[in-house]
Order: sequence, then structure tokens, then C-alpha cells
Amino acid sequence: MTDDTDQTRTDGSGPNIVPPDDETPTWHERKERSEGLSRVTYEYFERGRLEDQRLRQDSDYIERDVLGFPTWPHETIRNLSIASFFVGIIIALSATLPPHFGDEADPSVTPEIIVPDWYLYPAFGLLQLDPINPELALLGGEKLMSDELYGIAATTVVIGVLFIYPFVNKGSARRPIEEPFWAAVGMGGLMFGFTISVLSIDQIVADRMPGLTAPLIFDLTLLLPLVTAFITYAVLKAMQEGYMYELNRRYYRLRPPR
Amino acid sequence: MSVKPQDEFDRKAWLQEQDLTHLETIYLKILIYFDTRFRLVDYLEMMESLYYKANLQMPKSHTEQYNLDNKFWYWYPLYSLGLLTLLAYIVAAVSGALLGLYYAPSAEGDPSTAYSQMIFIMDELDFGLMLRSIHRWAAQFMVAAVFLHMLRVYFTGAYKEPRELNWVIGVILLILTIAFGYTGYLLPWNQLSMWAGQIGLEMALASPLIGEWLAQLMFGGFEVGQPALMRMYIVHVFLFPFIVTGLIIVHIGIVWMQGIAEPH
Repeated sequence: MTDDTDQTRTDGSGPNIVPPDDETPTWHERKERSEGLSRVTYEYFERGRLEDQRLRQDSDYIERDVLGFPTWPHETIRNLSIASFFVGIIIALSATLPPHFGDEADPSVTPEIIVPDWYLYPAFGLLQLDPINPELALLGGEKLMSDELYGIAATTVVIGVLFIYPFVNKGSARRPIEEPFWAAVGMGGLMFGFTISVLSIDQIVADRMPGLTAPLIFDLTLLLPLVTAFITYAVLKAMQEGYMYELNRRYYRLRPPR
Repeated sequence: MSVKPQDEFDRKAWLQEQDLTHLETIYLKILIYFDTRFRLVDYLEMMESLYYKANLQMPKSHTEQYNLDNKFWYWYPLYSLGLLTLLAYIVAAVSGALLGLYYAPSAEGDPSTAYSQMIFIMDELDFGLMLRSIHRWAAQFMVAAVFLHMLRVYFTGAYKEPRELNWVIGVILLILTIAFGYTGYLLPWNQLSMWAGQIGLEMALASPLIGEWLAQLMFGGFEVGQPALMRMYIVHVFLFPFIVTGLIIVHIGIVWMQGIAEPH
């Protein structure tokens, strides 16, 4: 009988059991986290959740049963067929065009033509911009930067532009026609990527194509991108008006431009 | 006592109500005769549903939905370039792992071990030439697909809010892919490899302030030799695979979370 008074019993009574009353926090109250960062976090997400709920209630948008393209079978089969086609092309090319293999490395013999793989042509071409490396009269016609450093600086600029690009070109426009300027920048950049690649192998190109000389290639490297950008801008600007009518009618009603 | 057959649908009464010609009545009576015996209506329903299943419309692809057919940048294959990059990466990884079984990164000896192992792979190893060929072509395809993928993202404005960070990761992946290719280009240790290494070394040395440190880090000295080959090998088969695979997972994970940028 003494056991009964000391120990917790199966019916929930006992010396150490405090019955729940108004003072005891409920589960919901405990979840609310009454202090510190956890409280701020809770309030932030709770506000977001309520906002979502409110938006959903106020919205007159009719939710469709199917919001997207079905994954099976449509998307899956399409992707599988594209994938097998692509891997098939790799294998077919590998079987028909095995890679070139040159002579053994020899530090004492400099090959006539040093070329990297094609995807390094742009970087290689940026190293050959030394004719426009400014010579400062202050330094007695000496260059401020070595030609290699100048090439590295040019590469850094290109990569830097790529990095900050989405933070510079903001807004919700998506089609090139909506922003002729940025489309022109893109086409100019694309053309510069091509011409700078040609510049990196200008010796080979000049040998193969008698009309092109190395200085001409250099001039074209800087001119063609500008011309391309200008033409792109002019064409898109001329097309824009007629095109925007359709865009306004179909699409801006759903997504007003910022 | 027999159970009288009953027509639940009372077809006879229905037939009387209709105002039919003689021919139609006969036709319907025959039809009713067979339908009560063979439940033709079930088969009709089956045929009908088969017809609709066979003629299901494919949902309109996004280009059709947004009236974008004949707009080049919204052509569907351009939207699968990211997948193609991943596929080429996987093909290159598998073939590269197999090549790694036979390659040795050593510039010692005459001809150097690396070069003679390459000759061995290409001339004597079964399917060795094919294996190297696949590895190289997959690498070329990966770089090309990465570049075209970037163009597609640029010209469809898919980098815009909220996807700027994924663009930044993508630029990092582009640089890493090219560096991946560069380190791989050096491994066969032929003339082009070594002199491409020389250019890289000169570029590293020309960097301001950290030039010498960078050259030592990347090439293990101030001339392209055994240390450079070893470093390129480790970067190519150990360092970059982890970094690039991780970044690809993050990149695709973010696309998964944010969804494909709607073409407009």
C-alpha cells in the first residue's frame, strides 16, 4: 500500500504528475517559440504562410488540374529519345573520327603552330590583343602592363561581365525583341567570341584564305562585333512595333512589364 | 412457375413511342435482338473509348502554348542542352575512368611513360582507340553543349530574377568545364600538350602579385615538366570531378526547385 502513494500510477495520478490546467502551454503555444531568433523565424514563416493563403483566397485565377506537361510518358520519352540520339552521335563520331595524336613532347623544339583545343581559342585570342595595349607617353612609350597581363585583364573583364550580367540587366522582359539593346549586346558578344577565336589562329586562317591578312583579321575582330550589334539593334527596333502589338494582346495582360 | 424474362429498359415500349419508318423499325428490332443477347452496347463503349485513347491529343508543348513556333530560341531541342551537357559529362566520366586504368602520368623516360601509355592504349589495347575517341568526343560535346546552353539561357532571358544565382553557378561551371578540358589536353604529353602547358604557365606567371605562387601551385615550378603533368593529372581525375559533380548537382537542384523559366 505504501507503493501506491509514492509511485506514478497507471491511471495518470501520482505524486509527480501535475494535471494540465490553464497555465500549461498547449502544443501550439510551444510551437510559437516565445523568444529569440526562433520566434522571429516562426513569425516570418507564419506571415508568409498566411500571405500565401490570403493570395490564394483572393485570387480569381482558376487552377487547372494539370499545371504542366506530363512527365510520363510525354516528357520522359522525349528526353530518352533525345538522350539516346545524342549518345549515339558521340559514339558514331568516335568510331568514324578518332582524335589526332601528335609527336612526343620535346622542350627543345618549338612547333610551328601552337594551338590549344578549340574551346580555348577565345581565351587564347584575348592574349593576342597586345596591339591595342595602350602605350603611355608618360612612361616614354612603355606599356603599363605586359602583353600577357593585358590578356589576363581582358579575360577577367569578359568573365566578370558574365558574372555580373544578371544583376545589371534586370526586369521581367524575356524576349530579345523586348530589349533590342541587350539582344544586340548578346549578338555582339557572340560575334566577338567567334572573331577572337579566329584571331587566335590568324596565322592558319591567313594561310588558308589568301584574301585575309593578319592585320585585316585583327581589325575585323574588333569591327565585326560592333557591326553585328548595330544590325541586331536596328533590325529588332524596326520589328518591335508590330511585334509588340501581338505581345501586348496575348501576354502582357498576364504579365505586365516592369 | 417460370420466371418471365423482363426487359428492364422496356425497349418495346420505347420502340412504339418512336415515329419510325418501316425500314427503321426492322433495323432497330434486329439490333435489339442482338443487343439483348450479346450486349452490343458494351462493345460500342469499348470501341468508343479505344477511339479516343488512340486519338489522344498530345498536350501542347510550351512553344505552342505561347505561340512561339518558328521562334528559333524557343525550339525545344535548345531546352535540352543542359541535359545533353550532363549526358556528355557522364559518358566522359565512364570512359575516363576506364582510360585511367591504363594511363600513367609520368614524363620520365624516352619516350615518356605517359606518351607510351597513350600509344599502348591506342595501338594495342582492345577498344582502346575507341575508348579514347569516345572520351575526347564526349568532352568536345560537353563544352559545346555548355556554351550553347548558355546562349539559349541568355537569349530567352532565363537568367533573370529569381534565377541569377544559378546563372552565376553556370558561369563557374563553364569555366570549370574549359579548365577540365585544358587539364585533359595536357595529359597525352605530346608536343601540343606541352606547349599549351607552356602558354598556361606564362599566363600564370604574368598574373600580378600572385604570379609566381600561382605558377608553383598549378605547374609545380617555372617550367612544364613532370610536376606539371602530375598536377594536371590530379586536378583532372580527382579535384575537378568532385567539384564539377557537386556544382552540377546544385545547379540542377536549383532548376528543380525553381522550375524551368517559362518561355514567353
